[in-house]
Amino acid sequence: MKNIKIVNFLVCLMLTMPLISVAQSYELPEHTSFKMPNGLTVYLMEQSDVPVISVSVTLPGGAIYDGDQGGLASLTASALKHGTQNYTKSELDENLDFVGASLNTYAGKETAGLSAKFASKDQEEVLKLIKEVILNPAFEVEEFKKEKKRVLVSLEKEKESPRSVIGDFFNKMLYGDHVYGNKTKGFKSTVSTLTIDDVKDFYKAHYLPNNAAISIVGDFSTKAMQKKISKLFAHWKAGEISEDLSKQLIPKPKETRVLLVNKGDAKETTFYVGSRGISRNNPDYVAIEVINTLFGGRFTSMLNDELRVNSGLTYGAGSKFRTYKYGGSFNISTFTATETTEAAIDKTLDVLDKLLKSGIDEESLISAKNYVKGSFPTDYETTTQLADLLTDMFWFDFDQSFINNFEKNVDALTLKKANQIIKEYFPAKHLQFVLIGKSEVIKTIAKKYGKLIEVDIKSEPVSAY
Amino acid sequence: MNTLAFSQIEAEAVETFTLDNGMKFLVVEDFSIPNANMYLFYRVGSRNEHQGITGLSHFFEHMMFNGSKKYGPKLFDQTMEYNGGSNNAYTTKDVTVYSDWFPASATEVIFDLESDRIADLSIDPKMVESERGVVLSERRTGLENSPWRSLGQAVQATAFQEHPYHWPVIGYEDDMKHWTQQNLEQYFETYYAPNNCVVVISGAVEADEIKRLAKQYMEPIPAQPDPPEIFLTEPPQNGERRITVQKDVASPYMMIAYRTPETKDEDYYALDILSSLLTNGKSSRLYKSLVDNQLAAGVFVNFGFSFDPSLFSIYVVTNADVTTETVEEKIYAEIDKIKVSGITDQELQKVKNQKLMEFYKQVETIDGKSNNIGAYELYFGDYKKMFDAPAHFNKVTIEDIQRVAKTYFTKSNRTVGVLKTDVEE
Repeated sequence: MKNIKIVNFLVCLMLTMPLISVAQSYELPEHTSFKMPNGLTVYLMEQSDVPVISVSVTLPGGAIYDGDQGGLASLTASALKHGTQNYTKSELDENLDFVGASLNTYAGKETAGLSAKFASKDQEEVLKLIKEVILNPAFEVEEFKKEKKRVLVSLEKEKESPRSVIGDFFNKMLYGDHVYGNKTKGFKSTVSTLTIDDVKDFYKAHYLPNNAAISIVGDFSTKAMQKKISKLFAHWKAGEISEDLSKQLIPKPKETRVLLVNKGDAKETTFYVGSRGISRNNPDYVAIEVINTLFGGRFTSMLNDELRVNSGLTYGAGSKFRTYKYGGSFNISTFTATETTEAAIDKTLDVLDKLLKSGIDEESLISAKNYVKGSFPTDYETTTQLADLLTDMFWFDFDQSFINNFEKNVDALTLKKANQIIKEYFPAKHLQFVLIGKSEVIKTIAKKYGKLIEVDIKSEPVSAY
Repeated sequence: MNTLAFSQIEAEAVETFTLDNGMKFLVVEDFSIPNANMYLFYRVGSRNEHQGITGLSHFFEHMMFNGSKKYGPKLFDQTMEYNGGSNNAYTTKDVTVYSDWFPASATEVIFDLESDRIADLSIDPKMVESERGVVLSERRTGLENSPWRSLGQAVQATAFQEHPYHWPVIGYEDDMKHWTQQNLEQYFETYYAPNNCVVVISGAVEADEIKRLAKQYMEPIPAQPDPPEIFLTEPPQNGERRITVQKDVASPYMMIAYRTPETKDEDYYALDILSSLLTNGKSSRLYKSLVDNQLAAGVFVNFGFSFDPSLFSIYVVTNADVTTETVEEKIYAEIDKIKVSGITDQELQKVKNQKLMEFYKQVETIDGKSNNIGAYELYFGDYKKMFDAPAHFNKVTIEDIQRVAKTYFTKSNRTVGVLKTDVEE
């Protein structure tokens, strides 16, 4: 494969092309929204190209509410599917599988949610099951024990892959004890103590309609669907919303640190270099995305060009701003053979330094703008993508002008502003490094970059480093 | 079934034409978003290699981005991205596929880029060396991050002893370090010919305009003699094969792979249904018997498309306190149940319903349309088979399921691989 899918990719000086701007208007399809008496916000959007319907539910029940019970939000979300007052777990599984429907419940960092997709002819049946899962979960203890064991096994298994765990180590380095450092799946030490009563309590406290949204996108009639949803969720009782601890201040890195994570049998070093980022509602969000595209967000980006194309040190290098409601992170990510670790880290820092010192030029900026505009519509093509967009609009509190004015906002970014944004948002000091690899070989290299902290990959990033 | 009531998802939505040089085009007009894509399917994969040049098809995939006559090194990607487009590519045992995604207004630029590299690729020795480092990193990172990679390669090499499916698509590390300039030049000439390529385009484009651009940009590229046929066939397997691999893991990984026929074989549909029946969803037979019963952390089947007879592979991650023998026996017990008692009408109908949903998801995006239409054209010999798939699945009977289970799921037809920490025990 040419590019790895999970890393976001990479600079570019277009000397052969005239300065052209790609223009293609894309507008959010029509939709309606309303708020039910219990506070549930409902979004409906008709899309009839294919006879399917997607549903997305979002509510504030993510890992930021775990406290010291890491993994509780996630286990609660999974337990919703362990049977309900009116369906056993196997009836639920069989009914969904029989019509080829998918219905998943999950917890992320900030929110918990449900995501479903099914044929429109099966809407009566599946919507009923969605309601059952959210409103009437039975929390059967035997199923809970089985799920807990599956989670404990997967927590062991994820240690086999540096790529699966590096983000968790990085988050703990960066956020420390702030709730954004909470690991969604939890730890062996915390998950093993969780009980069914913990799950029931978490559900009672967080699964409330008054700060929740449901979006339904697909082949249906809005009028009929409005009636159906109003009836299905009428008995969901509002309650008191918990305090959102993520509003607390995120500590600022005070020194450059290197977390060296030993993986004894490693043949390569996987690493992140980063710092604090931005929140989703940052007014410069679009501009930052355009610049990150140039720096590490596409194949020809500065990072991929230097680390992959020019030097063959890696299969891929990129960078990303990960945004939450009240904060976020920025990180560069790549990997290289153990013996080229130093060369790859040095080049990574050179590229960052170049961005900070020299900024970008007009040609590159046009290219990046064209690129983000050109791929934008493909992010909102399926019923599932559109349903997720609507619940994201709810959670992050942005409206359709984000979609409808996207091109305009991208075009409005001037070179002067772009270079200001680089200085403001890309980290120049106190970088946080995480290196996963063979410690005995790369330790002396790691020390060079900052204050060294050593752990083993089998360790759990439970408390701040 | 009312699948044919939707204009976007019927075979008539595809327009086809073939240029004088043998390059075939399949075009789907779809104006739902202002974007389009171009997929180029070349009939070349690791199947066309031999020991000494293993991995070359995949490496060539990378070299196609490293400069041609008009667009020198880096300019393919830079030009595409400047025009709002992006791309990727993948190589399998059988095919190499290039995909471009772009605003429909950039269609002509994409034709210019693609035709330049098919007609006049330059293979710069400097680029060859840096790209060699890239694919070595790709191989290494695959092995580093997934135990399935090592186990899958070992099982494949054991199940196929003569046929080219014996080696991994990425290649042997030593071959990767020794491909020569001449290997690459010869590969280009043999396989990168317009007559060895099917092009699929979907999106906000008009078929007539695509035809005009195809004639202008692609038709002048001369056809080449057909590539040599792959005459190696794998001799029948006459006994169970077993293989063990060492890697430090929390609990063992296991694969059970049965030899099965190529995609064009009439048993494809029954086998594919069987694969869903075993592991698709929480009500599937192996999920219930293994995962629900706490014997395994996960189980899935891989039964993909292939030009030549290949494998139906069951993958299991066992739980730490369970032996692989216990899990293996459970799997055979479930397979035997199907051989002896068949399956229920309800189960068969369930998988057919799931297949219809799968089809809807395939045609929901312009990307899914192109990728799937092209794959059906190559592996089934006709893109129309994609639109007929729900009907073909509907024809499968319980007797068919039982028959294919008995035919292929035998002890002497399987290869069993186990990856674990302690291989001396």
